[in-house]
Amino acid sequence: MLKNYIKIAWRNLIKNKVFTLANIIGLTSALAVALLLVMTALFELSYDQFHENKDSVYQVYLSNQTPRGLESGTSHPAPLAPALKTDVPGIKHAVRALSDDALVTYNDKEINLDAEYVDPEYFDLFTFPAIIGNAENPLSNKNSVAISEDGAQKVFGSIENVVGKSIALKLGKEEQLFTISAILENPPSNSSTDFDIVIPFKNHPEYASNIDRWDSQFHSVYVQLEEGVTPEQFEKNTQEFTTLHYQGSIENAKRDGAVANADGLYKQFHLLPIADRRFTSFASGAAEVKRTFPYMILGIAFVIIFIVCANFINMNIALSEKRLKEIGMRKTLGAVKRQLFFQFWMESLLVFTVSTILGLVLGNLLLDPFKSLFNTRATLEHVAQPNIIILFGLSIFCITLIAGGYPALLMSRLGTLHALKGKLDLGKNRLRNSLIVLQFAIAILLISGTLVLHGQIEFMRNKDLGYNKEQVISIPLNGKKDSYRVVELLREELKGNANVLNVSGADNNLGLGRDGSTMSSMMGFDYKGRGVVTNALTVDYDYAETLDLEVVAGRTFSREFAADSLSLVINETMAKQLGEEDPLSIRIPMDDGATTYSVIGVVKDFNFQDISKQVKPLTLFMNNGWDLYYAYVKIAPQNITSSFEAVEKAWGNIEPQAEFLGSFLDDNVDRTFRREKTMATIVTSGSILGILLSCIGLFAISMLVVAQRTKEIGVRKVIGASVSSVALLLTKDFLKLVGIAFVIATPMAWYFLNEWLQNYAFHVALSPLFFVGAGLLATLIAFITVGTRTVKAASANPVKSLRTE
Amino acid sequence: MLLQLNNIFKWVQSGGQRIFLLKDINLEVKEGEFISIMGPSGSGKSTLLNVIGMLDTFDEGEYHFLEDSVHNLKEKHRSNLYKEYIGFVFQSYHLLDDLTVQENLEMPLIYKKFKGSERKAMVADMLDRFNIVGKKDLFPAQLSGGQQQLVGIARALISNPKLILADEPTGNLNSKQGEEIMDLFKQLNDEGVTIIQVTHSEKNAEYGSRIINLLDGRMI
Ligand SMILES: Nc1ncnc2c1ncn2[C@@H]1O[C@H](COP(=O)(O)OP(=O)(O)OP(=O)(O)O)[C@@H](O)[C@H]1O
Ligand SMILES: [Mg+2]
Repeated sequence: MLKNYIKIAWRNLIKNKVFTLANIIGLTSALAVALLLVMTALFELSYDQFHENKDSVYQVYLSNQTPRGLESGTSHPAPLAPALKTDVPGIKHAVRALSDDALVTYNDKEINLDAEYVDPEYFDLFTFPAIIGNAENPLSNKNSVAISEDGAQKVFGSIENVVGKSIALKLGKEEQLFTISAILENPPSNSSTDFDIVIPFKNHPEYASNIDRWDSQFHSVYVQLEEGVTPEQFEKNTQEFTTLHYQGSIENAKRDGAVANADGLYKQFHLLPIADRRFTSFASGAAEVKRTFPYMILGIAFVIIFIVCANFINMNIALSEKRLKEIGMRKTLGAVKRQLFFQFWMESLLVFTVSTILGLVLGNLLLDPFKSLFNTRATLEHVAQPNIIILFGLSIFCITLIAGGYPALLMSRLGTLHALKGKLDLGKNRLRNSLIVLQFAIAILLISGTLVLHGQIEFMRNKDLGYNKEQVISIPLNGKKDSYRVVELLREELKGNANVLNVSGADNNLGLGRDGSTMSSMMGFDYKGRGVVTNALTVDYDYAETLDLEVVAGRTFSREFAADSLSLVINETMAKQLGEEDPLSIRIPMDDGATTYSVIGVVKDFNFQDISKQVKPLTLFMNNGWDLYYAYVKIAPQNITSSFEAVEKAWGNIEPQAEFLGSFLDDNVDRTFRREKTMATIVTSGSILGILLSCIGLFAISMLVVAQRTKEIGVRKVIGASVSSVALLLTKDFLKLVGIAFVIATPMAWYFLNEWLQNYAFHVALSPLFFVGAGLLATLIAFITVGTRTVKAASANPVKSLRTE
Repeated sequence: MLLQLNNIFKWVQSGGQRIFLLKDINLEVKEGEFISIMGPSGSGKSTLLNVIGMLDTFDEGEYHFLEDSVHNLKEKHRSNLYKEYIGFVFQSYHLLDDLTVQENLEMPLIYKKFKGSERKAMVADMLDRFNIVGKKDLFPAQLSGGQQQLVGIARALISNPKLILADEPTGNLNSKQGEEIMDLFKQLNDEGVTIIQVTHSEKNAEYGSRIINLLDGRMI
C-alpha cells in the first residue's frame, strides 16, 4: 500500500517537473540558510550557559540616583567584595575580577597575554576546569597563576611540563615572578570572559593603593548566593550596607538635587544573572537585558522558512486544481478521503525529505564561508541537540500536513460530480492571496530594514566626529618602555619625515583599536558646592593639534608654559556643565584643596566615545605622573601607505619586542560598529533570499494563473483587447497584493526601525524615502517576475489559446 | 465589395515538408452576402475563417479588406481593422465566465474605448433587441446553451460590425435552438450585415446565399 502511494507520488512529482524543481530548490536553499542562521542564533543564546552555577551566580551592579537621572555601574571599589561577604547575609562567595593585559617574560621572550585578575574563589563560581595541575584551587597562593592551553602554547610552545615553571609578569612598573599552578581548558567560544592567564587579584597594580578606598572603582564583582536566597533578598539585605559605605556620595547626590528611587534610596545594589551579561545594556541607566540580535536572526530564519512553505502550499493548491479530474475519477472508483489525503501528504513528505537532506548537505558546504562572512564562531553542534531535532521534525510534519493536507481536504470535500467537471472554487483563492501578501509584507519589511541599516552605517561612517580620523594613526603602547619616553622617541624618529605632521599621546583610544580594548575613565569633584562628573583623559603635548580638535576658547597645552600640569582643557559640554560665563576663569580645587587646577582652554565637542553615545563632559589633563596608553601620529594626506610604513618602522626601532598594533582612526571607528555591519550583512542576505524565494513562488503562481486563464485571454483578444491591456489585467492582480503588503508592512517597519535607531544618539533620519524605496523595489521585482509570464501570455495568438480546450 | 482573397496559401513546416492548410484560395465577398463554408472535418474551414477574421496569418497571396491591403498591414493596424469591422461567434460561445451577461456585452465596447454613457445605451439596446433583459445580471454558467449563444451573437454585434464570422455557431445546440439562431442570422443579414458561417449542416447552409466547399484546404 505504502509502496503504491510512493510510486504514484513520485510519478506526480515527475509530471510537474518545473514545480517540483522550484520547490526543491527553494526549500533546499531556505533550509540550508535557516540551519546556519539558527546555528548562529543558538550560539549567541548559549553564551555563558556552560557555567554550572549560572543560576546562583550574579554580577553585582550599583544603580545611582544622580542629578542627571539614573546611572548604573558595574565597576566597584576593592573593599566591596570582602565587605559584602562578611556583612551581608546569604552570600556564599563574593569575588573580584578584572580583565587587563599582562606582559609575560619567559626565556627573554616577551608576550602580551589577556589576563583575568581574580580572587581565588573565582573557580568556585565559574566553570573553567583545569586539565593539568591544581584543579581544586588553581590560585592557592598569591604567587601562583593559572594559564590556558592557548596561553601555554604562546609562552612555552607546548602544554607539557608547564605546571611548576616560573614566569615573570610585568605588573605596573615592576616585574614579579610567578609559578604556574595549573593549565586550564581554553574558555569556550561562547564565554563572555576570555583569557590566556588568570592572576590572583591582589597582584593587580591598582590593588595595593586602593585596598581600603571606597571611592576608587575599577573592577567587577560577582557573588554566589546561598541556596534559597533570591536576588530580591540580596537587594534588601544590602540596603543598609550601601547607606553605610557610600554615605559620602549619597549625601553629595542629595545636595546636588538627585531624586531618590521608589524605595527612597539613592544607591541600590542589584544582581544580574551571569548568563545575561552579554545581552545587557546600561545605556538608559537601568540594566536592560535584550537578546534582540539572536532573536532577530531566529526571526529571519523563521521568515525564510515561512516563505518557502507558503510557496509550497500555494503551488500545491494551484496544481491540485489541475488534478481535479484525476480525483473525481478516483472517487468514482471508490477512493475514500483518508486515501486521498495520504496520497497528497506522501507527495509533500517526499519533497520535504529530499530537500532536508540536500539542505543539510548545502548547509555544511556553506559553513565555512558563512562563519567568516558573519564573523561567528558558532558550530553545528549548537544545532545538533535532541530537542531541536525533534522540534524540526515536528515542524516538517506540520508543514507537510498543511501543504499536502489542505488541498486534499478541499478536494475530498468536493462532490464527485463537481470534481469531474473540473471546476474548483477555492474560496476565491483567499489562502493563496493572503500567503502572497504575507510573503511580500515580509520582503518589504526586510528591504526597508536593509536600507535603513545601511543608511545608518553610512551615516556613522561619514559623520563628522569632530576630529581628523583619516590622517591619524593610533598605536597602542604595549611595550615595556615608559610611555612618555616612547612618544618622545617617536617624535625624534619621525622628525625627519616630511609626511609626518604631529605626534602625541593619550591614555585612551579613539574608536576600537587592533588591541581590542576599550575603557572609560570617569572622575567626580565638587565645584562651587555642586558635584560634577566628567570623563578624564590624560594627554601629551600637541594632542589637539594632532587630532585637529577645534579650540573654541583659550589655548591648549603648550611647552611654553611651565605650569601646564595644573591646567585643564575641557570640552563644550563640560563647560556648559560648569556653567561659567567665562570658562577660562574656572579654578577647580582637587584632592581636598591640596591642588587647584585652572581651565586654560575649551575644545569643540568631539565624539570621544562610541557614536551611539551623546558627547559627555570631558576634561583633558596633562600630568606625566599618569601613564599614556596610546600614541597618535598625524600624517600628510599624500603617500599614506609609505608614511604608515615609516611609522611602523620607527616603532620597530623603539620597541623591537612589542607587536605594532597601529591603525588609522577611521578603521578604529569602523570597528566600533562591526556588530551593525554583521547585522546588516545578515539582514541584507536574508532579504535577498526572502525576495528571491518569494519570486520563485510568485513566478510559479503566475504561470499557473496564466495557464488557467488561457481561454479568457484568447476571448478578450478576439473581442478587441490589446496586448498591453491583457498584460495589465493579469499583472494588476498580483501588484494589488504587493500594494496590500506595502500597506501592512510599512507601519511595522517604521515602528521597529524607529525603536532600533533610538539606540543611537546620532542616527540617520527615518525618511519616508526608505519605505517608498522598499515598496517600489518590491513592486518592481514582483512586476518583472509576473510580467515576463503575463506579457508572453498576452502576446500569444488567440487562435491557439482558444484551440486548447 | 467587402473583401477579396487572391491566391491565398497557408502552410506549416513539418519534418522539412510543407503541409498546406489552405491552397490557392480565391474568394470575393460583397456587402450583404450570407456565405456558408462547408467541408469535412480537418478540411481547413476554421483556418480560412480565422484568416478572413485576421486572427491568423497566411503565407502567400493577397487579402484586400475594403480599401486596405491586409497582407501589407502591420499587426497593430490589422487588429484595429478587425476591431472596427468584424465580430466573432464561436461554437463554444467563449463568454467570460466571471462576468455577467451585461458585463460580457460591455467588454468589447470598453476595448473600443466607448464612453460609459454610450456603452450603457448600446448594451441596453442589445439586451432589448435579443430579449434577454431579464437575464442581464446572470452569469454564463446560469444560462442554457442557446441563451449563451444568443449572448455570444449579441456581443459580436454590439459594436455594429460589417461582417460576422461564425464558426459552427449551432454545433453545441439542439435543433430547435439551432433553428432560432439561424433565423436570427437571416434577420441580421436582411438588415444588411454580411455573414460568413462554417457549418456541417446542409439545412443551416441553406440559410446562406452562397456555399463554399473546402477539401484539404482547397476550394471545390
Ligand atoms: N498550427 C497548426 N499546425 C499544424 N496543423 C494545423 C495547425 N492548425 C490547423 N492545423 C491542421 O489544419 C487542418 C485544418 O484545421 P481546421 O481547424 O481549419 O479544420 P476544420 O475544417 O475547421 O475542421 P472541423 O470541422 O473539425 O472544425 C487540420 O488538419 C489541422 O490539424
Ligand atoms: Mg473547425
